[in-house]
Amino acid sequence: MELREFFTEGAIQLDLKGESKDEILKELIALLAVDEKSQGILYKMLKRRENLGSTGIGRGIAIPHCRSLVVNRLRVAFGRKTSGVDFKAIDEQPARYFFLIVAPPLEVSNRYLPVLGKIAQFSKEPDVSARLDELTNPLEFLALLQEKGV
Amino acid sequence: MHPELEALLEIQDLKTQRRELGETPSRDMQEAVFGLSTEEALSILDAKIAEMEEALAPDVRGRYRRIANKQPRVVVPVIRGTCYGCFVQIPTALASDADRNEEVRSCQSCGRFLYLID
Ligand SMILES: [Zn+2]
Repeated sequence: MELREFFTEGAIQLDLKGESKDEILKELIALLAVDEKSQGILYKMLKRRENLGSTGIGRGIAIPHCRSLVVNRLRVAFGRKTSGVDFKAIDEQPARYFFLIVAPPLEVSNRYLPVLGKIAQFSKEPDVSARLDELTNPLEFLALLQEKGV
Repeated sequence: MHPELEALLEIQDLKTQRRELGETPSRDMQEAVFGLSTEEALSILDAKIAEMEEALAPDVRGRYRRIANKQPRVVVPVIRGTCYGCFVQIPTALASDADRNEEVRSCQSCGRFLYLID
């Protein structure tokens, strides 16, 4: 299983407009092709998870995630906000790179946790923020995932 | 979407989150990657679930409790006409309804609440 296969170009946004955590979450959800009602429910669930503790894991990276009945398969999105937003991250630094993961409550192939784990692993690479900063288009993001072999 | 169905969906999603946080691989990851305090998170989720259950309309709450006493999944998706609780085919008229999810419906076979998705 490779992370690369879960991302589509349409679900990668290198220039997020949001200026707050909530706006960023909404923008990320909008990258997933789901209807408006489902977007609203995903937003609520993601907020509930954030309220338990921020998914900002430090070094500018956040991994908002949830399971919800409104999606029928695992979906992921990536967003970048170069200037950063306050995400209440562990290291109290602004978050600039966002990996969104949503999955149905039950998946046949059970890839939710492995995907979450791989993104966490990718985030630990020492040069990852510099490399994410350099990206100029979604294809380069996909190539980076491939290069890192995650 | 019917507001009671939306509330049911949210409760079910919270229960999923709660169940998963109680399981080893997920709990370990939440603690290691996100520094989550799982015990605290579980009690917050329990309180929220209880609060939302209480807020359901009395008739829906009665049906909810009857199913919840027997099984963890009270709301299940209908995908391509099949109830994903009991895997029985749902009557076509119901599964293809234009006003899908505008009513609170139950599976005639297993009794679980139904949420129609594509
Ligand atoms: Zn059923």
